[in-house]
Amino acid sequence: MSIREKVDEYKKILDIFPNDQEKYQYLIEKAKENDSFPLELRLDNFKVNGCQSQVWLVPEEKDEKLFFNSDSDALIAKGLVTLIASIYSDEKAEDIVSSEIDLMEEFELGVILSPARRNGAYSMLKTIKEYAKNLIS
Amino acid sequence: MSKFSDIKKDFPIFERDINGKKLTYLDSGATSQKPNSVIDKMNDIYKFNNANVHRGTYVLSSETTHEYESVRYKLQSFLNASESDEIIFTKGTTEALNFLANSIANKFMGEGDEIILSEIEHHANIIPWQMVAEKYKLTINYVKVNDDFSLDLDDLSSKLSSKTKVVSIVGESNLSGMLPDIKEINNLVRSNSDALLIIDGAQLVPHRKVDVQDLGIDFLVFSGHKMLGPTGIGVVWGKKELLNSLDPVYGGGDMIEEVHYDKATWAPVPHKFEAGTPPYVEAIGLGAAVDYLENLGMSEVEKHSDELREYGRKVLLDIDGVNVIHAEQDIAGCTFGMYVDGVHAADLSLMLDTHGVAVRAGHHCVQPFHRKLGIDATIRSTAYIYNDKEDIDTLKSALISSVEMLR
Repeated sequence: MSIREKVDEYKKILDIFPNDQEKYQYLIEKAKENDSFPLELRLDNFKVNGCQSQVWLVPEEKDEKLFFNSDSDALIAKGLVTLIASIYSDEKAEDIVSSEIDLMEEFELGVILSPARRNGAYSMLKTIKEYAKNLIS
Repeated sequence: MSKFSDIKKDFPIFERDINGKKLTYLDSGATSQKPNSVIDKMNDIYKFNNANVHRGTYVLSSETTHEYESVRYKLQSFLNASESDEIIFTKGTTEALNFLANSIANKFMGEGDEIILSEIEHHANIIPWQMVAEKYKLTINYVKVNDDFSLDLDDLSSKLSSKTKVVSIVGESNLSGMLPDIKEINNLVRSNSDALLIIDGAQLVPHRKVDVQDLGIDFLVFSGHKMLGPTGIGVVWGKKELLNSLDPVYGGGDMIEEVHYDKATWAPVPHKFEAGTPPYVEAIGLGAAVDYLENLGMSEVEKHSDELREYGRKVLLDIDGVNVIHAEQDIAGCTFGMYVDGVHAADLSLMLDTHGVAVRAGHHCVQPFHRKLGIDATIRSTAYIYNDKEDIDTLKSALISSVEMLR
């Protein structure tokens, strides 16, 4: 699935929930499903700056594609980073860099996706794109 | 009927809803909401009076100057200061403390001198002192906080000496609501040192009657926006003779008497400390906020705060799984820091938001004290004049349902 297709898929799911509370509940479930992150990878160099809670994103390159493993010490942030990581995983670095999808505009996720530059989701996306950019250069 | 029972109608923000729920605003420790009278006053200045202060010799400028300077008299009476010249306008508490740290260190301090703060200070009352301490080779000592969140005054006594040049202490804790005995601190400082005593009144002044002469302190600093006023305006109150002896930190227009190419002389206090165009509209807005509080009466404001504190203690202290950071002395603010084992404060505040409950999450600019307690982050509920018991009930039920979802 392309980045666009994955975003559309998540949009469909998130649209089912009528309010922020149920959307957060969905993210909490996503967070609980993501139990594969090894604690020893909670390292400062994998930390995403600018989040209210601690968030880690670890990139991995396999068959010329990028994969992201993610974690957070807060549940809702972990659900969000799990969702974002799955959108950009299994994709070529070039496709990640050239993707101009604005997740803040696509998803209605209450205050956690407000388009503020000092916002956690903004930092998660920026981190993913930087990893992809470094791989190309 | 109590003066407070219908008070929300003065604050237009309470007309809106949040996520389809009534707004339960419990973050006044971060900033207060504004009554119509403050908003209208500032609008009126821009619409009908606006002109720079202290400059023009025309009607508009003289009207604005009069409005601006009259706020000094309002604040003199609000704080029972002996003169209106003792009121200096700043951007806020942070700028006020940066100004005092720099001006005092420059004038009165040298290598080896000591500054005393407490373990529960806001970053605004730590970092400016750390910055001058490094520059002037000064030492900072921190007064211990007891397990019940009161200040350890024996520890203060033992740390005071002839080397102590400044004691700067919070007037009301923004995390625990602790109100130190300022008069007792003043006595200890006077009898054990020649230090200047500064009180950080950012949380204290909005909630309680402060009489600077009765307290005997040297300086008081506070912000307008936490006491119904606008952002961008704060106050330093200082004893006149001390203000006279201090040098300005900022130079520019309006703070001078005479300027030559090689030197300048300063205007008298307070204007020597107010370089450039001051935030006069904000100051006038603060004047309207003081009028609003005086109209309620600060003793009534205190009583309301005490009632909400007692109710908060009754309702919030025994919620299953919720740990509370709150000073349980007879006199304390209606501030409750809270954390739940195994639940992140950011998750908790996001879930509370879905109930329309606005609280602060994080370290509330008291990171060293959080570290001392071994907690990363807390949520904090701070009530003000427009809050009522129903708001505390809403917080409690939202907390219970949020914790259930997050566990």
